[in-house]
Amino acid sequence: MKRALPVLVLSVAGLIPVWRYAPSTATTASPAPAATPAASDPSASASSGAASGAAAVVRGTTVDTEKGPVQVEVTFDGDTITAVRMLQQPQHPQTAAAVPQLVEETLAAQSADIDTVSGATVTSDGYRESLQAALDARGA
Amino acid sequence: MGFPVSLRVDDPGVPESAADAVFAWLRDADARFSPFRPDSEVSRYGRGELARRELSADLTEVLGLCAHYRTATGGAFDVRPPGRPFDPCAVVKGWSVQRAAALLTAAGARRFCLNAGGDVITSSGPWRVGVRHPELADRLCTVLELTDGAVATSARYERGDHIVDGRTGLPATGLLSVTVVAPTLTVADAVATAAFALGAEGVGWAAGQDGCEVFAVDAERRVLRTPGFPAVAGERAAAA
Repeated sequence: MKRALPVLVLSVAGLIPVWRYAPSTATTASPAPAATPAASDPSASASSGAASGAAAVVRGTTVDTEKGPVQVEVTFDGDTITAVRMLQQPQHPQTAAAVPQLVEETLAAQSADIDTVSGATVTSDGYRESLQAALDARGA
Repeated sequence: MGFPVSLRVDDPGVPESAADAVFAWLRDADARFSPFRPDSEVSRYGRGELARRELSADLTEVLGLCAHYRTATGGAFDVRPPGRPFDPCAVVKGWSVQRAAALLTAAGARRFCLNAGGDVITSSGPWRVGVRHPELADRLCTVLELTDGAVATSARYERGDHIVDGRTGLPATGLLSVTVVAPTLTVADAVATAAFALGAEGVGWAAGQDGCEVFAVDAERRVLRTPGFPAVAGERAAAA
């Protein structure tokens, strides 16, 4: 863990600018002053034995940024980081930017050869009139 | 809840009893989880007659899903919206139909298509699933091809303004229709309903959910979809 802690602090420090990124701001990121070892946290369930090569999960302290609190959890295999997970991240458009880009199209009406129809919850009255009813009648 | 269920099984060796088991399970789920039946577990819990620890494992699981999506949508998806009774239908439906599909698989069915009130589970496709046009009941707005997965659509055209934005207590009106494709119907149905409750911002929200592809029609009749939505190529040109 001795070597793990600086690595964690560095990764926290490295991640913070990602959230703080805004073209005009340059406030100094304050790296997490300390990390909480996994042993004290019941939800960090990975085996945290002292044996070399054992996996360990370490939570960083919560760091307040101007966009909101940030907290990361780092998984080590020995001295190697195998995963970094965000426990807290700001609700901010920059965070939402990870969402896939949406394709915009115009609404078209079509008919096609299909097996079934997805639509809003169909009531029994609606069903009688529905495309699905026609498909079922064809299959029966 | 009351919705028509269509089941097509293409495997020759699957007994009729497999389908019977599906319909029996769905009737049982309705009896236990319908908020429209005063004696159901859901109604009794809604009236405060049952404590959380007295609930069945199934309802506890459903409530866990409800809590997850309530948090994930900042309260827009809420099974207990302001001024309205407890109604977990939006989660119960997808969850119970997904269980029904598991019964089919356990009975040896491999290639099947289960449609419960417009929510679809497919197995060993390809299956071609049409999405109902939000304004023209006899037309489709897209067709997708699915091998193993689930499709759910939330919209206002069948039951009116029945999805409420839990943040305001008012009907959600930002979208005409939203369709979500996901590995399970448990996820697809909950994400579609939650996205509809969120309104316009729900499209991007749903697109960011794990394993979900989205096709939405907003109030201005614009289509917004994820690039990975499995629409059948060339279908749009053929529609003209």
